[in-house]
Amino acid sequence: MLLFILKRLFISIPVIFILATLTFCIMRVTPGGPFDKDKAIPPEIKANIEAKYHLDKPTFINTPAFYKKKWIHVLTETQYFYYMKGLAQGDLGPSYKYLGRSVTDIILDSLPVSVELGFYAALILAAYKHNTWIDNAAMFTAISGITLPSFLVAALLIYIFSIKMAWLPAGLWDGGWEYKILPTIALGLRPVAIIARLMRTSMLDVIKADYVRTARAKGLNEVWVILKHVVKNSLIPVITISGPLLAGIITGSFVIEHVFAIPGIAKHFILAVTNRDYTLIMGVTLVYAVLLIIANILVDVFYALVDPRIKLS
Amino acid sequence: MKKISHLLFLVLISFTLLLSCSSRSKLTNDTLYFNLGTEPPSLDPSKATDTTSNLVIENLMDNLTDYDISTPDLKIVPKVAKSWKITEGGKVYTFTLRDDVLWTDGKKVTAQDFEYSWRRLIEPATAAEYAYFLFDIKNAKAFNEGKIKDFSKVGIKAINDHTFQITLESPVSYFLHVSTFSSLSPLRKDVIDQWGDRWTDPEHIVTNGPFKLTHWKHDYQLTLERNENYYGAKGKLKKVECFMIVEQSTALSLYQTRKLDIITQVPTLDIPKLKQTPEFHSGNFLSTYYIGLNTKKAPLNNPYVRKALASSINRNQITEMLQKGDIPTSSLIPMGMQGYNPDLGYKLNIEQAQEWMKKAGYEKKEGNTISWVHSKTKEPFPTITFIYNTNEAHKTIAEDLQAQWKKNLGITMAIDNQEWKVYNNSLQGSHTSPETAPFHLFRLGWNADYPDPDNFMSLFTSYSDNNHTHWGNSKFDSLTEKAKVILDKTKRVDMYNKAQKILLEEDTAIIPLYVYAHQSMWRDEVKGAQMNPLDRWYFDQLWLERNIK
Repeated sequence: MLLFILKRLFISIPVIFILATLTFCIMRVTPGGPFDKDKAIPPEIKANIEAKYHLDKPTFINTPAFYKKKWIHVLTETQYFYYMKGLAQGDLGPSYKYLGRSVTDIILDSLPVSVELGFYAALILAAYKHNTWIDNAAMFTAISGITLPSFLVAALLIYIFSIKMAWLPAGLWDGGWEYKILPTIALGLRPVAIIARLMRTSMLDVIKADYVRTARAKGLNEVWVILKHVVKNSLIPVITISGPLLAGIITGSFVIEHVFAIPGIAKHFILAVTNRDYTLIMGVTLVYAVLLIIANILVDVFYALVDPRIKLS
Repeated sequence: MKKISHLLFLVLISFTLLLSCSSRSKLTNDTLYFNLGTEPPSLDPSKATDTTSNLVIENLMDNLTDYDISTPDLKIVPKVAKSWKITEGGKVYTFTLRDDVLWTDGKKVTAQDFEYSWRRLIEPATAAEYAYFLFDIKNAKAFNEGKIKDFSKVGIKAINDHTFQITLESPVSYFLHVSTFSSLSPLRKDVIDQWGDRWTDPEHIVTNGPFKLTHWKHDYQLTLERNENYYGAKGKLKKVECFMIVEQSTALSLYQTRKLDIITQVPTLDIPKLKQTPEFHSGNFLSTYYIGLNTKKAPLNNPYVRKALASSINRNQITEMLQKGDIPTSSLIPMGMQGYNPDLGYKLNIEQAQEWMKKAGYEKKEGNTISWVHSKTKEPFPTITFIYNTNEAHKTIAEDLQAQWKKNLGITMAIDNQEWKVYNNSLQGSHTSPETAPFHLFRLGWNADYPDPDNFMSLFTSYSDNNHTHWGNSKFDSLTEKAKVILDKTKRVDMYNKAQKILLEEDTAIIPLYVYAHQSMWRDEVKGAQMNPLDRWYFDQLWLERNIK
């Protein structure tokens, strides 16, 4: 098992490298740069800014260096090389929008908040299996949870519980449990609904399987049949989807964080792109990639735990 | 099902009851809750270029001079500089500093701190975007370009601890405004050297203004506390909690539930309803929304076509549709600024517009609707293209212009929206070959950097990088250049009138639509607040009179 995990981690290094390169390419192809504004910046000042962030260098291949026959510089005096060099040393670079802050700082400030919120939302997920009222509530909201967009759910929750009833704050994050309730529900509802639907469909499939009939024929207690034979075997599709779902919950939801004014990481996925904050785009993309890779490894491990027919190799 | 929803409610209620006692500390008259609207990108004066950062910096730092926002013409008043002398025909500015101004760590603020800050702004390594603010100073531009390495040749000097002297390349009438810019707040070299980029963190920052930064949770909230070492009149607020709530409706909900005392933006859809309340305040900015015309691209290369377009817009219809209280204007220089002239620029006049179309060489074809063909080639008037950056308000304006020009003038316009950075790229990109650029018209707004007409007029000189109309007129250029250095008010206004007439009427390179309005809400218990055209918020001038039981 350990070997399997290590192997998978090792394989993901080139994946990250390729992903970083692709992201880098897409960013540079997109029109507009981090320091382009409606207010024109005098060319001499623009030159200073670009020099400071190495943006004056060619993107991939330094052709002037080629003509000067500085062969090494053809590849090293480029934006791509500078970035990758930093990345290899674990330096994600400075943000181009939040001047003076490094991308690592921004991620370290915002990721824990999203993880915390994601954790609460995941708690609802965990509670789902044991408590029947959550199960039922989930089924009740399953259809609406999947179909209603989260901004609508969030707005409804704020309208009912903050404005009309004045029970819970309409936004903000610090200062006690009451601030966490609405965003947790708004964020958790959708994944709970998805999993509830999936679980139910999957169970209905399994319940008709021959081995369930056999189990019953053996005279096993109905509770035991459901827990041991039905639930366990119907978990496979749920586990498949819960990996990426979990990575999604942890990195948060732009809408939820925006509506409730929560200082999480999700906003950077959107705003870094509109700001063309190259280094921050790359930073959050890599964070998401790493989380997704870990989640997928965990999914594979759980497969093996749940279904003895699946072997890790 | 009923049972379940009841249960859910019960859980929620018990939670809230349990927690209602632990909710945020009681409201007092010491602490104000304010919404900044967004994270300030930087609190380093040399690097900040946006209004949010500047709002915070203005409360943390005191500059040489500042605006008195209670005066309608925004008088410049002394701050750290107790007096100044302008000599050599307006070329040399000598500021004499107070000697009782202290930094938050107890050291004295000296002229050297100003010299360091001004120097840092133009130092090439700082890569400050606003370095060009100082390009009127002797050799400042060459120093920024790296052509001059010796700083002693630049006209920025601390003569002694409390005398700071600036020498300009040539006199400019607006230079005193420069001394108010928060980008030029004094800075402590030792602090910046020690902490580098992190010097603006609350544990390192050293400031000299009425407040100090004590807490900064990025993207969430920062805390300003009264600076007890402050040399000026002490403010009544001990603490200001500034939140960074981007979503306007959330901020409004928090305001309505007493978690915020002041919000400086109001969701547009709520304005008609909120307008009725005494807590709603509206004022106009020193900023103008305008339509730019690509004067090199046919058929807009014909000035009569441009005049016709300008004369067939009902501006009131647009501002009423936007419902934001913006003020229709045909003048580029905004209301409330020297040189504003409501009589300049074309107003709605459909007959005149159609005359101009004929003068431009088009024949009117009457049918169910009006249409135009070229009198010689008999070709129909082409569809023109308008681009704007993706945004609800701009979309409303574009669609309304489209409808108005169709109805009033019989001209068909295609509209195309682009994401902000792509849009900027399109405008910049059109400079290489304006004739083939994929648009005839575009939208932009300009917000005053400082309350002087030069800030608006110099946008449209033939050599301005901000002029995307590709229009140039040497008469306009020379009038703008001359007006820059003239100190006589009436002469200056006269020159700007002449220049605006060329820009808006004779050549019609742009069509101003309206002066932006801005809205804020503050509770009755907030005292001393006032709307002002620069949208400044000085927290030391505010106080609270809450009804505390």
